Amino acid sequence: MRHIIAIHLQNEAGALTRVTGLFSTRGYNIESLSVAATDDPLVSRVTLVTKGADGVILQIVNQLNKLIDVVAVEDLTRGEHIERELVVLKLRIEPQLVDSVRGYVVRAGGRVLEPSPDGFVVELTASEAEVNQFVSDLGGRTDIVEVVRSGALAVGRNARALHVVR
Amino acid sequence: MAKTPPKTDKYRDLTRSTQSSAPSIQHPLAGKKMTGAEMIVQVLADEGVTTIFGYSGGAILPTYDAVFCFNEDRAKKGEPQMPLIVPANEQGAGFMAAGYARASGRVGVAVVTSGPGATNTVTPIRDSMADSIPMVVICGQVPRSAIGSDAFQEAPVSSIMGSVAKHVFLVTDPEKLEATVRTAFEIARTGRPGPVVVDVPKDVQNWQGEFKGTGTLPMPGYRKRLESLTTDIIDGTEANHFFEMLGESQRPLIYAGGGVVNGNAAEELREFARAFDIPVVTTLMGIGAVDTTDKLSMRMLGMHGAAFANYAVDDCDFLIAIGARFDDRVAGTPARFAPNAKAIAHFDIDRAEINKVKRVQWSHVGELPEALRMLTAHGKRMGFQRDRSKWLEYLDEMRSKYAFNYDRASEQIQPYYVLEEINRVTKGEAIIATGVGQHQMWSAQYFDFKKPRLWLTSGSMGTMGFGLPAAIGAQFANPDKLVIDIDGDASVRMNIGEMETATTYNLPIKLVVLNNNGDGMVKQWQKLFHKGRLSASEKTLHTKDFIKAAQADGYKYAVRLDKKADVPRVIAEFLAFKGAAFLEVIIDPDAGVYPMVGPGQPYEAMITGDWIPSRKKVDVKPPGASEMF
Repeated sequence: MRHIIAIHLQNEAGALTRVTGLFSTRGYNIESLSVAATDDPLVSRVTLVTKGADGVILQIVNQLNKLIDVVAVEDLTRGEHIERELVVLKLRIEPQLVDSVRGYVVRAGGRVLEPSPDGFVVELTASEAEVNQFVSDLGGRTDIVEVVRSGALAVGRNARALHVVR
Repeated sequence: MAKTPPKTDKYRDLTRSTQSSAPSIQHPLAGKKMTGAEMIVQVLADEGVTTIFGYSGGAILPTYDAVFCFNEDRAKKGEPQMPLIVPANEQGAGFMAAGYARASGRVGVAVVTSGPGATNTVTPIRDSMADSIPMVVICGQVPRSAIGSDAFQEAPVSSIMGSVAKHVFLVTDPEKLEATVRTAFEIARTGRPGPVVVDVPKDVQNWQGEFKGTGTLPMPGYRKRLESLTTDIIDGTEANHFFEMLGESQRPLIYAGGGVVNGNAAEELREFARAFDIPVVTTLMGIGAVDTTDKLSMRMLGMHGAAFANYAVDDCDFLIAIGARFDDRVAGTPARFAPNAKAIAHFDIDRAEINKVKRVQWSHVGELPEALRMLTAHGKRMGFQRDRSKWLEYLDEMRSKYAFNYDRASEQIQPYYVLEEINRVTKGEAIIATGVGQHQMWSAQYFDFKKPRLWLTSGSMGTMGFGLPAAIGAQFANPDKLVIDIDGDASVRMNIGEMETATTYNLPIKLVVLNNNGDGMVKQWQKLFHKGRLSASEKTLHTKDFIKAAQADGYKYAVRLDKKADVPRVIAEFLAFKGAAFLEVIIDPDAGVYPMVGPGQPYEAMITGDWIPSRKKVDVKPPGASEMF
């Protein structure tokens, strides 16, 4: 099962390495990983997508909770949550297809950032499944030069902040 | 169980450094100008360190100088010093610190230089992590401006140690040095203990600043989780459930591990076992948690556990795991471990150990002494009583029927005989350190241990060469105790440089080398599973004369024992010798470790050898490829 794990991490040297190191040492996979500062400069938010049976995910959460720099961990997939991913695509398209591609992008909820046919850049923020569909559809219409994905970002559908799952 | 934190506490107040326990009493040196190096040494002294182990080098010179000056000053004032003990190799320093910690329960400290000094401590650090031993290792590092430039004696210590230690700090802000060293001790000793590395660039050691005498780094997540280890109590419902399971059980058994020793819960465990008449098996790491001579002790379980201990596990109907983690040397096939147990209860300080290997029906995560005290009190309050005489009588019979045994009539010196003779003198009171291999398992099987922290062995990592430096560290922690290292000819070679360390510091350590010309345990596996092809494990052609080596290293007592008739006399004079003593015993090279549960096998397939009866005829099968370890 696919799980999205959110981590609040103290912004210390080597903290992220210890998180990723834990995954490689213990043989867990990371499907995507996204890290950035929060409104508190001392804390980073990590969103990590992994796959595993329930027991494995529980181990992952428990082992993450043993890292000194980890402030809080939550398996967001255990509850209602909102998931978003940003994809930026660079396309090469025949000039006569520009209008139809632009039309598709807009209908899909995306935006054209750079209209040049040699380096036509579009973006979409959506769920992982929608992003997959978007990439696949555009691949069928034009040549994709580059695919840049942020990895999943997610937040729980509730009033509270991230807490330690026990 | 989780609570929603108040809004203002979004990130659990990361910005505020905590104060140490007694902020109202000012440190006498607070406000004094000091170098970073002096601050390190002062914090070590404040933390109660009595001995430092370490080897010098360029990047740690300022700290070594500060230790020198600190001790000089203490000498002038007639106050106790903090001697710096120099090994032959930094691995030795790491294991000395670990031996010191294991034998005393205090945090062991090693201070080493950058690059090779630091990397030589990787093995003892991983070893201490795997056995949950509190240790602080301070490494010199190249100056901050040179980090990442492939400078002389530079190694990526924080990346390397990050994978093996409980935590690692690279001190880049000298203002945080003092708090970092103090925090390292806090992390090492709290929760599930472990080693913490502090990597200190040379220019940070030379920096000058104001000593505060208090303060630690913020660790909001870690401290919150620690807090829950003391505040999460076993409530009445949970306690009732536990006693329901215990009440329904006819054959309960406690399976106690290293967590009981490391968590200082031996007294509480003994009280709990006595209060409800529950027999106890221990893991290799749990030896000493109960007095091995006690009537409730069923000694060690596992791959080389007592046959009667393993049969007790097979026969029990309620297993109570305390500070134990169902390691593969205990539960080779988790699904067939304790097959008749209708329920398993598990106490541990580490939540990640619950249900990691074996599913349990009842668990408690928290400090063990408190948990056991509460449960004992609860049981006594509710007047819990069951007649266990049938089960205990049955175990008594098993204990004598399936006792450890060997070829007592053999002409050759049997290693078991030697250990029995030593044990007759030491009576479970001495500190016994070991290397890794057959001699380690024989020691676990044949020695008695009346108390915890007398048994020092590398359990999880299985590091050959552990014994001698660990014994040295233990002797520094317990200057008046008899410390014996039982070693093998192959294990002792790994850190043989430390033979001289024992005599240099005039330690009365007793070093026994059971010589069977090679890697005995490896040979045993090769005989069982590789048709006797002794690939790289035979050392009959090696030319080392251990006696001459010991004499060269200053051992005034260095004796080779090769006649069975001499064993009692020589052992008596060896143990009575004042000062470091070396004894080489030429043992039967074919002596094996039995019982043996093959890798990946259930206990019922235990091989008991020629001298211990077995409940079941067992064919020796080579393990499957994935079980070959």
